Amino acid sequence: MLTDALFRMRALFRRSAVERELDDELQFHVEHAIDKQVAAGVPREEAVRRVRLEFGGVEQVKEDCRDARGISLLETILQDLRYGLRTMRRTPVFSVTAILTIALSTAGLATVFTLGDTLLFRSMPVEHPEQIVAVSSTRGGPTPEGLVSHLDYLAFRAGTRTLSELAAYYPTAPLFVTANGNAHELNGAVVSANFFPLLRVTPALGRFFRGDEDQVPDRDRVAILSEHLWRTWFAASPDAVGSPVKINGTPFIVIGVAPGTFVGVGDSPIELYIPTMTLRTGYRWCDDALSPTCTVLAMIGRLAPERTADEAAAELTTLMPPSWINAPKGENSGITVVHPRGVTSDPSQIQMIRVLSGVAIVLLLVCCANLAGLLTAQSAARRQEFAIRLALGAGRARVIRQFMTESLMLALAGGAVGLLVSRGFVAIITALFYAVDAAGRPRYFDFSLTFPVIVTALAASVLAGCLFSVFPAFRSVRGGNGQAASRSSTGRWSSGRWLLGAQTAIAVGLVAVAALLATSANLAVNGSSFESSHVALMRLRPRLMKYPPERAQLFQREVVRRLAAVPGVESVSMVGIGAVLGGGNTPVGLPNWTRDQRIRAGYNEISPRYFETLRMPMLSGREFDDRDGLQSPRVAIVNETLARRLWPNRSPMGATIVARNVVQQVVGVVADARIGSRTEAVEPFVYAPFWQNPQQVDARLAIRVAGDPAGKLPALISEVGRVDPDVPIAETITLPLQLAGWARPVRLTATFVVYAAGLAVLLTAIGLYGALAFAVSRRTQEIGIRMALGAARARVLALIIGDGMTVVVAGALAGVALAAAGSRLVAHLLYGSASADWLFYVAGTVSVLVVGFAASLMPARRAAAVEPLVALRHE
Amino acid sequence: MLLSKPKGRPLVSESARIELPQGTLDLLILKAIALEPQHGWAISERIHQISGDVLKVQQGSLYPALHRLERRGWIKASWDVSDNNRRAKYYELTRVGRTALGEQAAAWRSLTTAVGLLLDTP
Repeated sequence: MLTDALFRMRALFRRSAVERELDDELQFHVEHAIDKQVAAGVPREEAVRRVRLEFGGVEQVKEDCRDARGISLLETILQDLRYGLRTMRRTPVFSVTAILTIALSTAGLATVFTLGDTLLFRSMPVEHPEQIVAVSSTRGGPTPEGLVSHLDYLAFRAGTRTLSELAAYYPTAPLFVTANGNAHELNGAVVSANFFPLLRVTPALGRFFRGDEDQVPDRDRVAILSEHLWRTWFAASPDAVGSPVKINGTPFIVIGVAPGTFVGVGDSPIELYIPTMTLRTGYRWCDDALSPTCTVLAMIGRLAPERTADEAAAELTTLMPPSWINAPKGENSGITVVHPRGVTSDPSQIQMIRVLSGVAIVLLLVCCANLAGLLTAQSAARRQEFAIRLALGAGRARVIRQFMTESLMLALAGGAVGLLVSRGFVAIITALFYAVDAAGRPRYFDFSLTFPVIVTALAASVLAGCLFSVFPAFRSVRGGNGQAASRSSTGRWSSGRWLLGAQTAIAVGLVAVAALLATSANLAVNGSSFESSHVALMRLRPRLMKYPPERAQLFQREVVRRLAAVPGVESVSMVGIGAVLGGGNTPVGLPNWTRDQRIRAGYNEISPRYFETLRMPMLSGREFDDRDGLQSPRVAIVNETLARRLWPNRSPMGATIVARNVVQQVVGVVADARIGSRTEAVEPFVYAPFWQNPQQVDARLAIRVAGDPAGKLPALISEVGRVDPDVPIAETITLPLQLAGWARPVRLTATFVVYAAGLAVLLTAIGLYGALAFAVSRRTQEIGIRMALGAARARVLALIIGDGMTVVVAGALAGVALAAAGSRLVAHLLYGSASADWLFYVAGTVSVLVVGFAASLMPARRAAAVEPLVALRHE
Repeated sequence: MLLSKPKGRPLVSESARIELPQGTLDLLILKAIALEPQHGWAISERIHQISGDVLKVQQGSLYPALHRLERRGWIKASWDVSDNNRRAKYYELTRVGRTALGEQAAAWRSLTTAVGLLLDTP
């Protein structure tokens, strides 16, 4: 067997030498045969003739020898590859077009795959990720959203045998940090001492927490910096270890720096780590963060050898605290153990990836159709070549295989280029959509090309190559016999028509949906029932400094007064719960309603001038003002939807409503704020006055300014600093930017679909142009006859354009149906009313018709410019 | 013992054009170079002469057979200068080939003996 392999290797790599030897060998034999004949008395020429006759076809013998050598398959593949390269060089325009086409569509596919992989599928970038599990509690439903208290964590850790290690962490701790002259709110994490060892992370400088530093509450105030913080605030100096920092007003000491390769376990980079025993500093929403009722920690564990996640879940369920057994809905009642995949489980992201994948696949199919059309036209030109090869004895399979090898080479080249291009796309997408979140905090996503993505993208391009070449390959070889070649076409390109029609339909559908999405993306950010472009936002956090409510409210009143006086500021307003355009929710009802009758409505506590700041129109009544204080009657403002639900037959003014168990009188009705997409129903909303809640501590501000809100922010921030420099200010962002952060799915999808639509239109135009140009060249004789018989040039022009436009119009009509279906598929991303949608369908159709016309015009003009005499002589 | 169906042009005997299975050619080649290395022409002449001009190997089958045997490792080739000072490719038996020759020859004899017995019995 070794001899066999060596033999084949030699035959493969020293091919020319082997060929020469074979030549010499056979030549030697022939000469001896001739000599023998001559020696027997035959004249030399006769001898040569006889020997040649006897020997048979030299090439055939050589071929048999080659077959006997047994390296046929590999050799023919190499031969195919070499021939394919030559053919590609011979038709550079086609080759480049094909490679670019595949590249652009596989780039789209690879980009979507990378996004999907990082967001949804990738395992954690640590050693042995298959052993890492996320342990979470469940609260009355299968979705694990629950967090646990510190005592619960300790109980699980002490009792578990299936997990070799279990750590707890709170990864979104808002830490207001002062150090080295810098003061800023940072995203920090409160972690147990075994957190870093569990993940096998080693410090870049100093050390991590020791076990004994995480035993006694508030005793060991030690902190670990992220590498980024160390570089920016401490200038990467080794003196950072041991230097003091103030966190939420409490002094800590830095003991180490985490490595630059570790940014945390979520998608927000963590700048600072403190131990769980200092949870009272890091988490301010419970009176005592370490108490059994304060559930704030997530858990992460490492499976013991040979153990599975299911075994761990079963064991941990037996270790649950007794209070969990019959807990009411909304409280911790179960436990799950899963392997963490990706960085988000947000359903809107999952849906977005699905939509994008669909678009990318459709785009790839359009490319295949396009290339199939181009290849069919091109292979018709090569029909003679195939006919000759078949006549010379090549097997049909061989010729088809060679044809497909060429196409596969093009497809692979396109796939490789597409992968390169996709890296650029992903970089752009990261910068545009994934750099910061809705509060202006930096995000961290590792959108790098992984091996599975590369393999999938290349496999897709190979599959595409097979798809677009199989049909023309079989056609060209079937028609390879002489008679079929001459009867090839009467100029009617019928089979290509269906493909082109389909491409046109898809192009129209994509253009219409792209226009719809782009408009929606704009509406999502700029709002249709409020005005956002001049609004700046900021968040005040006296709670982090443990201000009591009275002190915090004094501070807030002063801030509002001072900010309103800043030049350029038109109005200032505050909300007490959640984001400025959001809030919490609560059951509301009429005073005589029972608990079951109450409906869930949105709820927020707003200061005076809220609706004025956001330009939300009041339909009746008034805004809250200084009349509505702690000593005044409790009042409320409702939106249209809530008013219709509670008082369908009368005006709600003066009526009584119960919200959060407080009886309030309605003093105003505001127009609905449509901030959701078409598939989200408008939420009923009730507003209470900010100042009628004596427990206010934190607040979010909305400030309307005359000019650019981003430019005004520094002045506003420094004004607040003048009121009280100790209070942390956070989430300083403009409202349009925040809305853009929320609207990421629609904006990203819109960008992608616009790209796909552009590409589809371009491809359709190229396909149409190519097909028509080819048809014209085949029909040159016919055109010459027509013109010789008296047809005007305009008639010829109309003939060709008519040919092209028939397909385009038919495709466009089908495309409208596709557009309607497509808009149904992305309805969850569309904003604004649906009544004007038909405009977009029309616009899509018209634009593709125009492009189709332009693509038909050029070959038509060429046809009309044909000289009859020249055409008649054309073969 | 069945020999496989011939592929390509068979070995023929000149006068009556008897078709012989392809395996026979391999056997004859191995035997022809059993004593000393030969080149293709010499092998062909040797078979022709020693069979008393009955068997004539067609060049179209000789060389593919030689290459096949070389690939199988039963013979090996080397280039040398021939009697008339030309470069020629000489083939010689390998150790494996010598064993194969013995086996194939024994098989052929038992086949022909059996066929002969059947033909002789009325």
